[in-house]
Amino acid sequence: MNCPRLKSWFLERYNFDEIRDLAKQKLVPIHKYEIWYLTGGITLFLFIIQFITGMVLSFYYIPYFEHAHKSIIEIVTKLNMGWFFRSLHHWGAQIAIVVLFIHVWSCLLLKAYRKPREFLWFSGFILLGISIFFGLSGYLLLWDERAFAAVRVATGGAGNLPVVGEFIKAFLRGGIDVTGDTLTRFYAFHVSVLPLVTLLLIGFHILLVQYHGMSVPLSVKKEECKETPFFPNLLYKDLIIWLVVLGIVVTLATLAPPEIGKKADPLAPAPENIKPEWYFLFLFQTLKLFPGEILGMNGETIAILLISAGILFFFLIPFFDRKSQRGEKSTLFTWIGVIYFLYFVIMTIIGFIS
Amino acid sequence: MKRILTALIGMFIIAADLFAQQDTIDVFPAVPYDRFIVYQNLIIFWAGIIGLIVIIKMKLREIERTQKLGIDKEEKDIPVLD
Amino acid sequence: MKIDFSLVTRRTFLNTLFGGWLVAFMGGSLYGLLKFAFPTLGKEPDFVILKPDDFLNIPANSVKPFAWGGKLGLFFKHSNGNTTALKGVCTHMECNITYIPQDKKFYCACHKGWFDENGKNIEGPPPKPLEFFDVTVEADKLIVAKKGIKVELPKA
Repeated sequence: MNCPRLKSWFLERYNFDEIRDLAKQKLVPIHKYEIWYLTGGITLFLFIIQFITGMVLSFYYIPYFEHAHKSIIEIVTKLNMGWFFRSLHHWGAQIAIVVLFIHVWSCLLLKAYRKPREFLWFSGFILLGISIFFGLSGYLLLWDERAFAAVRVATGGAGNLPVVGEFIKAFLRGGIDVTGDTLTRFYAFHVSVLPLVTLLLIGFHILLVQYHGMSVPLSVKKEECKETPFFPNLLYKDLIIWLVVLGIVVTLATLAPPEIGKKADPLAPAPENIKPEWYFLFLFQTLKLFPGEILGMNGETIAILLISAGILFFFLIPFFDRKSQRGEKSTLFTWIGVIYFLYFVIMTIIGFIS
Repeated sequence: MKRILTALIGMFIIAADLFAQQDTIDVFPAVPYDRFIVYQNLIIFWAGIIGLIVIIKMKLREIERTQKLGIDKEEKDIPVLD
Repeated sequence: MKIDFSLVTRRTFLNTLFGGWLVAFMGGSLYGLLKFAFPTLGKEPDFVILKPDDFLNIPANSVKPFAWGGKLGLFFKHSNGNTTALKGVCTHMECNITYIPQDKKFYCACHKGWFDENGKNIEGPPPKPLEFFDVTVEADKLIVAKKGIKVELPKA
């Protein structure tokens, strides 16, 4: 569209040429691992879909435990395309977490955390935790039997942490047990606290990416890489993959809408074979591996300590991986990354089939 | 003028198609009639996405062609009309 | 007739195609989203079912309110015993109207509009008469329907 008068109106007030020159300078290296560069953008796109569908759903959802379940049934049965947007929100969340894990592991295995990008890794790790909490808090909002029991298990597990466990459990639950207060609290997290924190962190994360540029894996010789401009070449490639992902999520949402179970009853016994959402399964299975008591100490506490140690190591990997800090190949940490990945996948699969 | 017209007609056809077919997704589609409308909309949606991807690929090809020719960079020391 | 040069540059063609298709795609998606976000804009029921006992025995020259979707409906018994129903919403700015039995007129307090007992606007700002409904009694149901709507009850 050519509107010279409109363009000159803006140009008399703002210097767009400077911004355009700055944007043209953003170059991205081309090499055989460049496809992994797209994973961050896909995660961002899916989160945007979640924000939009979440916003429209929040017009109709009632976060009071007496009405929550019914309000979702009303959304799904009575409103125009309500079932579709709820289904889209559900599948968007599942695929977002899948792509998020792919993004995290690709950064781990390609060692994008090495100097100077340590803060990208740290902010990314916090974002991972926040996303999982997004999933947990959103899941409870359904207030059906499965969600209720699953959240009871998850918050109960957090309570097994030594020293801070009880405090965290009470903070999450809003009391001693999972009640209507928990629902209100999780709703506040899901709709207000977490989105704001996520926005800030994602802004910080993306800003750092602009500052540092894209990390080139150690096995590729950086000097021999050709570079393409981000605007418009890679932006278009991003758009193409985003459209494909949108198509996949919409197809899943249309053909496999999620169910709604019976309304939760706090006094009823837990339903048979209760399992948390799939991204918690590996933790769940790990807990099951440990016997009730080891050497007189609570088995679960030991399990949680070990898990916490594993997660802490994961978080601080940039400091442990000395070799990649110096820019050398670090096969030990590649193997550590592979082990983390295999452990996650195998435990999740076992959790599924048991 | 002609290109504006063709673009408008194209947009109108797609928008009208979407408009005409989208009215009745009110409930969880159990009735086959409603279900087929949902499937039809899904196919139209995919047609839209694939069309967009094809067009973007065309644009990418063109941009890479011009970039290879090297004609998209600004010439240095070009006289400025002041 | 073959011309020696193209009327449109490759760039313009591609950009217009891209822009047009993108607008149509986003427009269609946005339409679905907005349909969900604004569901009951302007939607009223085609008919409403009431209990006959509650309404048929009201005294003459009085009204009894009922719910017409989210709006006010008035079941009206004239002084000669004829029953009818109307939408109790003023045609000026959609305030709820009330019936003044002494004057046999409907009154809207918002801008002091008056309607006679047949709904015609006789005084004040209202531009149109009140909307009346068709009333039928079927078995044990009192059916109030929009004029011209054919009511088909589901066989329970």
